[in-house]
Amino acid sequence: MKLTIAIARGRLQAQTLELLAHAGVRVSDEAIKSRRLAIEDEEGRYRLIFVKPVDVPVYVEHGIADCGVVGRDVLMESGADLLQPLTLDIGCCRIAVAAMKRSLFSDCGMLRVATKYPRIAASHFGARGVPVEIIELSGSVELAPVLGLADCIVDLVETGRTLRENGLHIIEVIAESTARLVVNRASYQLKARALGQLIGALNNNDGGRA
Amino acid sequence: MSEPLSKIPGGMRYYFGAEARVRRSVEDTAMAVFGGWSYEEITTPTVDYYALFERGMGRREAHRAFRFTDTDGLMLALRPDVTSSVARAAATLFAERQRPLRLCYAASVFRQQSQSHAQWRREQAQTGCELIGADTDVADMEVLVIACEVLRRLGLEGKYSITLNNVEIFNGIAEHLSLDSDMRDELRQLMDTRNAADLERFLIPYTSREERRAFAKLTQLSGKRQTLDKALPVITNPRSRSALERLERLWSVIESLELSDDFEIDLGDVSGLDYYTGLTFKIYVSGAGGSCGGGGRYDRLTSNFGKAEPAIGFVLDLDALTDVLMLRESDLISATDVVEQAPLLTNDDRTALFLEALDKREAGERVLINSSEVRL
Repeated sequence: MKLTIAIARGRLQAQTLELLAHAGVRVSDEAIKSRRLAIEDEEGRYRLIFVKPVDVPVYVEHGIADCGVVGRDVLMESGADLLQPLTLDIGCCRIAVAAMKRSLFSDCGMLRVATKYPRIAASHFGARGVPVEIIELSGSVELAPVLGLADCIVDLVETGRTLRENGLHIIEVIAESTARLVVNRASYQLKARALGQLIGALNNNDGGRA
Repeated sequence: MSEPLSKIPGGMRYYFGAEARVRRSVEDTAMAVFGGWSYEEITTPTVDYYALFERGMGRREAHRAFRFTDTDGLMLALRPDVTSSVARAAATLFAERQRPLRLCYAASVFRQQSQSHAQWRREQAQTGCELIGADTDVADMEVLVIACEVLRRLGLEGKYSITLNNVEIFNGIAEHLSLDSDMRDELRQLMDTRNAADLERFLIPYTSREERRAFAKLTQLSGKRQTLDKALPVITNPRSRSALERLERLWSVIESLELSDDFEIDLGDVSGLDYYTGLTFKIYVSGAGGSCGGGGRYDRLTSNFGKAEPAIGFVLDLDALTDVLMLRESDLISATDVVEQAPLLTNDDRTALFLEALDKREAGERVLINSSEVRL
């Protein structure tokens, strides 16, 4: 039974393919370099589809892809109902609150938060009982506090360099994020053997821990 | 009134053509099977008191109901489930009837969009059955066998898998570890998402490394009898143990009926913990991205209505099954797909036209009257 794996394009793509290759899912360089968005591995056991990171949970939840590799940040934001049997040691970063001030909570009746992660931000501040106005942006989030659009941002921090260069400090870390293998609930039961094999192979890599 | 009249509310839809016919046929098949096992059809009110569902489904689930107020100010809801109402009827209307009660239904339930994105429908057609007043292994097996028969009659033999678990296994573990409700919820969530790494980390204060690893493995993969064999040395508290033993007895019957290909033991399925009290199961069909139904034992429910008694039941998701069958081009579709057009009856004489049509109808033929060109 052929397995369809959804792969997040961009930041995680190369590392994901490397992990998969170690686990026996090999695709030719030619196929990767081509512009095709769906390719097969060399043994014809897997189909790989390349989609935007935010779309990985969508494809997997609908069962169009049986499984996928995606960052925990995207997963938390999507709220999709998926299984997460494996944490992968790639794409390590933090989801953090950052601001120009060192402290935010001393005197705020209402916090303006600029972010690409409105759900994560809302639930984080909601749990602390801080009233927030979420300002959803799709890029260059660091600019928002600098120009006064927001008091702080909730964003992914890898090295922290962009923050520093824009005069922002990390106020708190909401969660550590690494890539995860996510699996569709029905596929998990109906393609148990093939998925079990893949999970086992990824787990035996140095890259995976379960 | 800025919305155009052409717009359809999110999560609502039309059904017609082949899909409507397949849907009807799935429902008829299921209801016929229920009838064959002596289940009596019941139709519950479409609108009922919200309090009924709050008691029946638990607050969290009932919250998703469409609510409005009655003329006396009491809160009403479009039924978000059928079982709550069936349980009330069992405890009240049917209080004096001989047990066990066997009831079945086919009805729409209405829920505000759920957390799952793939599950966008707000009106879902459910077909299900309830066996009330029997707490035996035989009762458990009866509903499972009924589910298998429905799936087989839908042409899905070998294409489905029913996963089994018993919520008392989890409850026993949570009790044994003395987890408070937040910790219990976290454990449930880690098991439910098969998050083995974080599950092991969660268990660090409680057990040895080997035990943690063994337990995480257990909840991660489903399997046949060997899953139970592996669980027995790992899960040792008495409450979980007795649930495992009950599951084992059920599995022996499944084996003896040569049905073990259709079933899996899935100790990681811990959904519905607030609701179910014993056996739980989920039905997965190849081609569907989610489950196509499920059920379990809910021995607490009827006590809400003044008469505590054991009960078990399950529900099939009519829409999910229809989707699968539409993909499969099964026999069911070919039987219902092509509806040939009946020959057109035309006659200027209205009386003769209808007499001919009535004669043909009497003979069981399909008729199609030319109602556009006839000069009446």
